[in-house]
Amino acid sequence: MKTNLGHVDPVACTEPAPLLELHGIRKRFGGSVALAGVTLSVAPGEVHGLIGENGAGKSTLIKVLCGIVKPDSGAITLAGESYSPQTPRDAKARGLQVVHQEFNLLPFLSVAENIFIEHLPRNALGVVKRRDMNMRARAVLDAIGLKDIDVRWPVERLGIAHRQLVEVARALMTDSRVLILDEPTATLTSRETERLFSIINDLRRRGVSIIFVSHHLDEVFRLCDRVTVLRNGETVTSRRIGETSQDELVRAMVGQQLQKEMTHSIESSARSEKVLSLVNFRHAESPHEDGVSFDLHKGEILGIAGLVGSGRTELLRAIFAAQPPLSGTLLRSGKPVSLRSPRDAIRAGIGFVTEDRKEEGLILSMPIAANVTMASLADVSRGGLLDQRAENALTEKLGTDLKLKYGGPGKNASTLSGGNQQKVVLAKWLARKPEILLLDEPTRGVDVGAKAEIYALIRRLAERGLALLVVSSELPELMTLCDRIMVMSQHRIVGTLPRADYSEEKILTYAYQGEKRQTGH
Amino acid sequence: MKLLLRDAGIGIALLLLILFFALTADHFLSPNNISNILTQITINLILAIGMTFVILIGGIDLSVGSMLAFCAVVGGSVLTVPDLSVFQAVSLATVAAVGTGALCGFLNGWISAFWGLPSFIVTLGMLNIARGAALQVTDARTIYSFPPSFNAFGSQMIYGVPVVFLIALALVGIAWFVLSKTVFGRLLYGIGNNEEAVRLAGHSLMIYKIAAFTIAGVLVGIAAMVYMARLNIASPIIGIGFELNAIAAVIIGGTSLSGGRGSVIGTLLGACIIGVLANGLILFGLSDFMRQLITGVVIILAVIVDKYRERITAA
Repeated sequence: MKTNLGHVDPVACTEPAPLLELHGIRKRFGGSVALAGVTLSVAPGEVHGLIGENGAGKSTLIKVLCGIVKPDSGAITLAGESYSPQTPRDAKARGLQVVHQEFNLLPFLSVAENIFIEHLPRNALGVVKRRDMNMRARAVLDAIGLKDIDVRWPVERLGIAHRQLVEVARALMTDSRVLILDEPTATLTSRETERLFSIINDLRRRGVSIIFVSHHLDEVFRLCDRVTVLRNGETVTSRRIGETSQDELVRAMVGQQLQKEMTHSIESSARSEKVLSLVNFRHAESPHEDGVSFDLHKGEILGIAGLVGSGRTELLRAIFAAQPPLSGTLLRSGKPVSLRSPRDAIRAGIGFVTEDRKEEGLILSMPIAANVTMASLADVSRGGLLDQRAENALTEKLGTDLKLKYGGPGKNASTLSGGNQQKVVLAKWLARKPEILLLDEPTRGVDVGAKAEIYALIRRLAERGLALLVVSSELPELMTLCDRIMVMSQHRIVGTLPRADYSEEKILTYAYQGEKRQTGH
Repeated sequence: MKLLLRDAGIGIALLLLILFFALTADHFLSPNNISNILTQITINLILAIGMTFVILIGGIDLSVGSMLAFCAVVGGSVLTVPDLSVFQAVSLATVAAVGTGALCGFLNGWISAFWGLPSFIVTLGMLNIARGAALQVTDARTIYSFPPSFNAFGSQMIYGVPVVFLIALALVGIAWFVLSKTVFGRLLYGIGNNEEAVRLAGHSLMIYKIAAFTIAGVLVGIAAMVYMARLNIASPIIGIGFELNAIAAVIIGGTSLSGGRGSVIGTLLGACIIGVLANGLILFGLSDFMRQLITGVVIILAVIVDKYRERITAA
C-alpha cells in the first residue's frame, strides 16, 4: 500500500498546462479593497465558472483581465507568457475577449456595423464595403442561430436579449483564446440561453477557454468544467464541478459570518397599520395598464425579488417620485397622496437608498457631514445659514448609531470604504426620521462585515416601527431579512411568499415563470 | 481645509509672479502702478465673481460681455435723463442696469433649467440677443456726458486703492460668505458635483440653477455701473470678449470647469494673476499681442496643474 502514497493525483496528471493563470491579484480603489489576492487557473478548452456575491470582485477581476484596470500586484500568465494588458486593445491582441454585462453597442449603427466596428471591411479608398460587411455579418448571425434579425437594422430596434447575442457575435469575430462572458444570461429568456449554451459548447470543442460569470448556480453546474468562488476579493475555493455541490458553493460564497447572521431569523412581524398602499400604481416604464398593487405595513420588511429588468428599481423610483408615476393611487397611512417629486415623497416621510451609491446616493467629493445632512439641511441651519456645529453633532450622533468608521465629519465621502459609504447614505435618510425606507440593493459592493451590520440595522429600524421595502438580487439576503417577499417579473408582481414558504427555488420559479409567459405571447 | 490649501497654492503663484516683476520691471511696485493694476482688474473681477457661481453648478455663461453692454446702455440712458438729481439718476440707473442684468441672467437660467439645455448654447444665444438689444435701443450710438460727480466717484482713491476695487472686494466677501456659509451655497456645490443626488435628497434643482445665473446677471449690472463711472461712456459695442477673461479668472483660480469644486477666493487670485501678468508684460515692453499669447499659455497651464491636483487628491 505504500506505493499508493507516493502516487501522484491522477487528476493533476491528466490536467493540461493552464492557458491562463492568475496569482495573488490585488487591487484597491481609494479606501476600499476590490481584490485581495485572486488566484485562478483556466485550462485550454475549459469552461470555468466564476461565481461570488455582488461586490465579491468579479467585475474588477474582469476589468483587470481585459486591460481596463491595472492590478496593484500579482502576476498573470497567458499561454506561458507574462500577460499585463495596458488597454482593452492589448487584451484583444493577445486573444482575450470579453462580453460585458453592460452593453457596449452603438444603438444608432446597424447590427452589421456593430459586429465589425473594430475592423470594418474597407476598399482601397477607405470606404466601407457595405455589401461585403452585411454578408459576413449575416453568416456570423446565422452561425449562432439568429436568423430572424436583419443585419441592416439599427441596434436600437433589437430587444435586450438580442443585443446580448449580438455582443457575443461581435466577440466571436476575432479568434480568441479566452472568452469571458459576464452574466451573459441575465437578460436572456430560456430559449436564447439554450442557444448561447450551444455556442459555448461549440467554442469549447474548438479549444477556446471560457470564463463564465453567473449568478445562476444551475447554469454553472450544467455548463462548467470547474468553478472558482470569489468572496471579498479573494479566491475562496476552486473545484471540479463533479466534486462539489450547490450547497457547498453557496456556503463558500456567503461565508461563515453571514451564515451565523442568517440563522438568526426574526419571526416577529406586527401586521398592524398599512403605512403605504399602492393600488393599480403604474409608471411610464410599465407596459401594464393596471400597474401593481400591494400593502406595506408598519414595522414590516418587505422584499422584492426578480430578475434584472423585471422592473424593481423602476417601481421604487416611481414610489419616491424620482420619475413621477403615470396612474394609480398611492395611499399613505390610508390617505391618498399625490407625490410629484422626491421633495414631496420626503415630506411624506419616505426615504430612498438608491442602487447606485456613487451616481445618485452620495456626493463623493464633499465632506461626510455634508452628505449626511443633504436631506435635512433645515435642521442644521438657521435662516439659511449653516450651523457647522449642529451639522457635525448630527453626523457624529448618526455615525455612532451606525458604527460608521470614518476619519471625521469634514473628511470627504470618497475616503470611505463601500460599506461605510452605504452607512452614510443610510444616515442621510435616518436624519429625516422617515417612516418608510425604500432600499435598492442595500449591500451592493459592501464587504461581509459591513453587510452583517447593515442587516442588523435594517432589523433594528423595523423593530422601531419603520416600514422597509427592500429590492435585492441576492436571494439569501432577502430570505434573511424580509417578513414577506414579492417576486416581480415584467413589471408585475407574480407571487408573494410568506416567510414560512421561502426557498430560492420557489422564488426563481416565480421569477422565470413570468418571463416565459411573456415570451410565449 | 482642502479648499484653503488649493487657494494657498494659487496665492503662492501670484506672489511669485509679483516678486518676479518687482525684481525685473522698473516701477512695478510704484503706488501709481499698483492703483493702476487694481483699477484694471476690477471689472473682470466683478464679472468673474458671478461666473464662479455659474461654473460651480457646472454651467457656463458666455453672454456676460454682451450683457455688460446692454446693462450699460440701459443704465446710461437713465443716467442722462435730464432734470434728475445726481442721486436720483445714479440710483435709478443702478436699479435699471442691475435689473436688466438680473432679467437676462434669469432667462439664461430658466431656459437652460426648464428645458434641460446646455447653458453653453443658451448663453451663446443670449450673447447675441443682448448685443442686438444694446445696438437696437441705442441705434448703435454711444451714450456719454454723465454727471461729473459720478465720474469722480469712478476714479476715487482711498490710500491709493481705487474705491471701485474696494467694491469688488466687498462683493468677493459677500460671495464667499454665501458660497461657504449658507444652505444655498452648499447646494450649489452639491449640484455641481452630483445633481441627481441633490435632487433625490428633495431639493428643486431649477431654483438653484436659475439663482446662479441670476446672480451672474446682477453682477454684470454692477460691473456695467462701474464701467460707466470709470470711462464716462456707455456704448453698445463694449465688453466684447469679456466673458472669456472672466472664465479665465475663474479657471486660473482653481474652480473646476465641470463644476462642484473651487472658490471665489481663488477667482480673486485668478483675476489678480491675469491683471498682474498683463501689467508686468507691458512694463517689460512686450506688445499687447504677446500679452494675450502668454495669458493663453497661463490658462492652459492652470488647467493642467488642476488636473494633476485632482489626480493627487483622488489617489
